[in-house]
Amino acid sequence: MDERVEKSMAGAAAALDYDAELMLRVKDGDGASFAVLLDKHRSSVVHFLYRMIQNQAVAEELAQEVFLRVYRSRATYEPTAKFTTWLFRIATHLALNSLRDGKHERLQERLDDDSSDMPVRQVSDTRPSVEQSMVYQAKLAEVRRAIAMLPEKQRAAVLMHKYEEMEYTQIAKVLNCSESAVKSLLFRAYETLRARLAHMA
Amino acid sequence: MRCPSEDRQHAELLLEHAARKLDAERAAVLEQHMATCPACREYAAAQFAVWEALDNWGAPEVSADFDRRLYQRIEQEVSWWDLMLRPFRALFAARFVPVAAAACLLIAAGVYLQQPDGTPSNAASHSAQVETLPPDQAATALQEMQIMQEFSSVVRADNSEPRM
Repeated sequence: MDERVEKSMAGAAAALDYDAELMLRVKDGDGASFAVLLDKHRSSVVHFLYRMIQNQAVAEELAQEVFLRVYRSRATYEPTAKFTTWLFRIATHLALNSLRDGKHERLQERLDDDSSDMPVRQVSDTRPSVEQSMVYQAKLAEVRRAIAMLPEKQRAAVLMHKYEEMEYTQIAKVLNCSESAVKSLLFRAYETLRARLAHMA
Repeated sequence: MRCPSEDRQHAELLLEHAARKLDAERAAVLEQHMATCPACREYAAAQFAVWEALDNWGAPEVSADFDRRLYQRIEQEVSWWDLMLRPFRALFAARFVPVAAAACLLIAAGVYLQQPDGTPSNAASHSAQVETLPPDQAATALQEMQIMQEFSSVVRADNSEPRM
């Protein structure tokens, strides 16, 4: 590749984000940079997939596939967008495919297993009573169910907006739709969630 | 300010307010509006409740062997040929490459010296050779060429006649 083009691309990547720069290093054969990217984004990808699929084993399996695809694509990688946009586009694509392929099984598994692999965020160090704990678990089950019942694209949009703190423009790029479509998805999703969860206040 | 609860375009203000993403100036304007708008107050309270409910939903820790499994899968993607050669690569790099290079040089030198006059090949035999002809041979050749030309014009005339 022309050295000038290479330099300007690297410059553009640096302007975009440090992750893209790391990915360009992976492209040049630097395995350590891939390890840095993995370390930085492993949790967010797994957690996003877990909340989408609501099954830890499947979420980890899909997350492995996400990073495997990133690694496989290293030779053809071009920093045209933020690295996380690309990463979450792969993750969302895999999650939506997985949900469409095995919707029935997963839904059944979720209904059978409402409290499994579901950590509770402890606000204080004081141990909750059995009753408090049960109420808390019931509330969490309700949150999980409310999210699971959202249409897939709305669910993905909410999870990226709430947990990944992505901007509308980035969510739009991940979901391959317009910014106004994302606002509409979020508006409808939160409307549904308010109807189901507002009583928990 | 237009009431955000009445317009989807402006409802994002209330969503961003619940997410605490609004800058101080916009938040102040919205709160001023909410003080006199029960619909927006209700909307914001419900959105805060959703936000808090979602906050409490943590995700499990990633398995400790996640990276190991991933790198194992990456390893499996390497070609079988690469895998077969891998145990020998170190040996090749350390000892056999210089030995093999020396052997190749010796064979090449042997082939070179096998030539009778020491020349690399018999390229001269393939090169174009220009010979001078005696005058009588040249006249005969010209005559033969003329006969051939006449013969071919006769054949062409025969072929041009339409076939039945």
